[in-house]
Amino acid sequence: MADEYIVEMRHVTKRFPGIIANDDISLGIKKGEIFALLGENGAGKSTLMSMLFGMYEPDEGEIYVRGKLEHISSPNYATKLNIGMVHQHFKLVSNYTIAENIILGIEPKRRLGLLPVVDIKGTIEKVSALSKQYGLEVDPTAKIENINVSTQQRVEILKMLWREAEILIFDEPTAVLTPQEIEFLLQIIRGLRDSGKTIILITHKLEEIKQVADRCAILNRGKLIDVLDVATTSTQTMANLMVGREVDFVVDKAPPRYGAEVLRVEHLTVKNRDNFPVVKDVSFSVRAGEIFAIAGVSGNGQVEIADAVAGMADAAEGTITLNGQDITHMSVRQRTDLGMSYIPEDRQSVGLILDFTLQDNLALKTYYKEPFCQKGILNRAAFAQYGDRLIGEYDIRSGQGRETVVRSMSGGNQQKAIVAREIELESPLMIFVQPTRGLDIGAIENIHRQILAERDKGRAILLISLELDEIMGLADTIGVIFSGELLKIAPADTLTTNEVGQFMMGVKQDEAG
Amino acid sequence: MKRVNPVTRGILFLMGDEKRQRITIPILAVLISLIVSSIVLLVMGKNPFEAFASFLQGSGVIPKRAYGAKQNMFTDFLGLVDAWTPMLFASLAVAVAMRAGYFNIGVSGQMLLSGFIATVAVGYAETLPAAVAKPLVVLIGLVTGAVVAAFIGFLKTKWNINEVVSAIMLNYIIRYVVSFFVKTAINNPNTRQSWPVSEASRLTLQDVEIGGLKMDIPLGIILAVVAVILVQFMFSKMKLGFELRAIGGNPIASKYAGINVGRSTILVMALSGALAGLAGVTYYLGYYGSIQPDVLISTGFDAIAVCILGNSNPIGIIFSSLLISVIDKGSTYLQSSIGVRAEIASLITGLILLFSACGAFFAYLINRSRQREEDTKNLAAGRQAGGKEAQA
Repeated sequence: MADEYIVEMRHVTKRFPGIIANDDISLGIKKGEIFALLGENGAGKSTLMSMLFGMYEPDEGEIYVRGKLEHISSPNYATKLNIGMVHQHFKLVSNYTIAENIILGIEPKRRLGLLPVVDIKGTIEKVSALSKQYGLEVDPTAKIENINVSTQQRVEILKMLWREAEILIFDEPTAVLTPQEIEFLLQIIRGLRDSGKTIILITHKLEEIKQVADRCAILNRGKLIDVLDVATTSTQTMANLMVGREVDFVVDKAPPRYGAEVLRVEHLTVKNRDNFPVVKDVSFSVRAGEIFAIAGVSGNGQVEIADAVAGMADAAEGTITLNGQDITHMSVRQRTDLGMSYIPEDRQSVGLILDFTLQDNLALKTYYKEPFCQKGILNRAAFAQYGDRLIGEYDIRSGQGRETVVRSMSGGNQQKAIVAREIELESPLMIFVQPTRGLDIGAIENIHRQILAERDKGRAILLISLELDEIMGLADTIGVIFSGELLKIAPADTLTTNEVGQFMMGVKQDEAG
Repeated sequence: MKRVNPVTRGILFLMGDEKRQRITIPILAVLISLIVSSIVLLVMGKNPFEAFASFLQGSGVIPKRAYGAKQNMFTDFLGLVDAWTPMLFASLAVAVAMRAGYFNIGVSGQMLLSGFIATVAVGYAETLPAAVAKPLVVLIGLVTGAVVAAFIGFLKTKWNINEVVSAIMLNYIIRYVVSFFVKTAINNPNTRQSWPVSEASRLTLQDVEIGGLKMDIPLGIILAVVAVILVQFMFSKMKLGFELRAIGGNPIASKYAGINVGRSTILVMALSGALAGLAGVTYYLGYYGSIQPDVLISTGFDAIAVCILGNSNPIGIIFSSLLISVIDKGSTYLQSSIGVRAEIASLITGLILLFSACGAFFAYLINRSRQREEDTKNLAAGRQAGGKEAQA
C-alpha cells in the first residue's frame, strides 16, 4: 500500500520546550493531489512540514518519501528528494535580481579563460522559458527590492521549479496577497497539480481549501483530528473540527449610534525617507461610536496614515485634529495623554518590548503616571497589581504570569496584551492596524468582539486592515486607499465586497459611470 | 534510547535554571579560562596553582611569604583597590550605555581627556587646598566625560552617525591632542611624561604612615561604590532607568510608548561619559599621578569585556572588575615569585575576557542539553505509562 503515497508520515512526534508540536501524526499524501493542512495558529502545521523539508528532525516516527524510509536531515537533502517549500516569510536577497535569486546556491558555471564565472545570460533565458511554461511571468533582470510581494512569491515558486521540485509545500501563501492575487495564485497551484506536481498547502483559510484542495488534514493542538475529502465536506464542518467547537461566522453588530466628531484629518500628506509622498492629500473624519475602516492592498499608504495620526511619522502637509485640538505637531506622549490608543501592525517590533516582562509591557503607556511612578521612582507593587488585573480580565495566558518575558509568549497572547493595554487607556480614539494578523479563528473572533464593544462604548475607531472580510464585517464607514489616495469614502452598507476590491485595484468607478 | 551521562547531568544541575545562569555562566567562563591558562602554564613548566596563588598574593588577597619594610598584606590590598577603582568606574560606564543599547567604546578617550583637563586645571595649582582641589578634580572629570560622550549621543540622534565610529574617531583626536600638550607644555624631560600632579589634587593619598605601615589610600573607591549603588537603583527603581532599559530593548517600541528617544540617547551617553570621566580622574590623578603621551590605556576597552562578564549588572560588575584587577595587579608579583613574564598575566586576562564573551554560547549549549534530557525523561515516562495501560 505504501507506494500509493508519495509522502507518508508514520507516528511522527516532535516536541519543543513546554509543548508537543506534533503528537503521533500518521498521514499519507498521494502523488498529483493538492493536499491541504488546516489548523489554527500553533496547531503544528508548519512544524510538520518543516520536518518534511528537513528543517527539524522528528523525535519519533518515520517519514517515507516515494515508499522509501528517509532521514531528512537538511533542506539540501529535501531538495535532493525533489521537495521544495515556499516559506511564509520569503527568503530572497533583496538587492539581487530575480534570476540571481533563482540560481543562488546552484549557479550554472562557465569558464572565461581560467576563471569560472556565473552564466547569467544563459540563466536569464532559461528563467524566462521556465516562467512562461508555468504561467509565472516575471522579468528575470528586475531586482527583488523593486518588485511587489506577489511577484516575489512567484520568484519563490520559480526557485522550487528550478530545483526540479516534485513535491511543493506552500506555507500560508495567501497571507500577503489581495483577493485578485489570491485568485491568480490558486490558478497557478491548480496548473502545477495538472502538470503532475504534488502540492501541500498549509493554511487556516477555509475558502481557499474549498476552492483548490483535493484532500485536507485537520490539526488541532498538535494532534491529527481527521483527513477529509474536501468535495464532500462543508466549510462549517471543517471550521468546527479545526477549532474544536462550534464557530460563529457572523459578527453580531448593533446599529451605530454616532456622537461628536473625534478625529479629523485634513489634506494629510506623508513622505517616506526618500522624500516621496506615500500618503497624498488625504482627508476624513471619525465620529464617536463609529468604526472607520481603511481598506487597501498592502503598501498603499494606510500604515503611514496610522503612523502620522499616532505621531510615529511626521505629517509633511495637512492637519490632524483630535477632539478639536490640533495635534499635528504634538509628541507621541502628548497624543496618548490627550486620548489616543494605537494597536500597531507589527506587534513584536513596535507594540512590545520583547525582553521586558508582561507586567512592564502592560504598563508601557502608563508607567510615568501615578500610581506607577511618583517623583521619578517606580512603584513596583502597582505594576504587579495592574498586571494581574489585566491578565485576569483579558485572559492573557503565559508561562509565569506577570513575570513572563513577553518574547516567550504566543502571538495571540502578545496581541491580547497589547489590546488590553490600549483598551485600558480608555481613549476616545482607538487605532487598530491589522489587529488580527496571524491570529487563529478563536482569537480573531475575540478581538472583533472587543472592537465592537469599544465602538458601542462610544469610542471613535480607525481600523486599518488588509483582510477585506474583516472590514466588511466591522466597518460603519469604509475608505478605500490606492497609491496613497483615498479613492472612495462611503457608508459600509452601500458598498459590496466586489466594489471595494475594484477600488483597491485603483479602478475609479465614479469616473467610469 | 540514549542515556545522558552523569557528568553532563551534574553540570546541568549545577548551572541551574535561566535565572541562576546569570551567575553560574560567568563563573563557568572564568573556570574554563583558568583551566586553559593552567595548560599554558604547564606547557611552560610552571605549577599553575603556584601561579594563581601569586596573583592573589601580589594583590593582597592572601599573604605573601615575606614583606618589605612598612608593608604587609593590607598595603598590597590597598594597592589593588587603587587599581580597581578606575576599572570599576569604566566598566560601569560601559554597562550604563549597554543597558540602553549603545556601545560606548570611547571610554578610554573620555578617561584621558577628563584626566588631562583636571591635571591642567587643578593638578598644578599648588596653592589650592586639598579640600577644594579634590572635589574640583572629581567635578571636572564628571563634566568633561559627560560632555564628550553626550556629543557622541548628539551625533547619533541628530545625524544618525554610528556611535562606535564617532567614539573611535574621538579616541584618536583626544589621544593626539592631549599628547601634543603633554609633550610640549607639561613635559617632564626625565620621565618623558607630564609632571606629576600635586599632593592636594591627587585622589589617592600617597605614602600615608599608619601603625608603622606605609600605604596608599584610594579615596575614589568610596565614590565608585556609591556610583554602583546609584546605577543599580536607577535601573531597578527609577522611571529614568525604565525608559533607558526600554530603549535598549526596542527603540521603536519606546518611541511608540511616548519616550523621547533622542533626548534619552544623549542623556544615557552623558551618564556613561560622566562615569568614564570619573574613571579618568581616579586613574590619572589617583592611581597613576601623571599622563603618558601617545598612549590610550586599555582600561576602557577591557571594561567592555568586564561588563559582559558581569552581565551589564552593577553588582555583577563589582566582581568581574575585581577579578580582572587582581590578575592585573598580581602580575608583577607573578614575575618575581615564579619567574613567569607579565605578558602571561595579560594572556590570562585575555582568556578570561574571551571566554566571558562566550557566555551566551554556553547558555545555549546548557539549555539545549537540558531540553534533550527532559525529552528523554518524558519519553521514558510516556513509555512506562503506555506499558501499564497495556497491562491493565
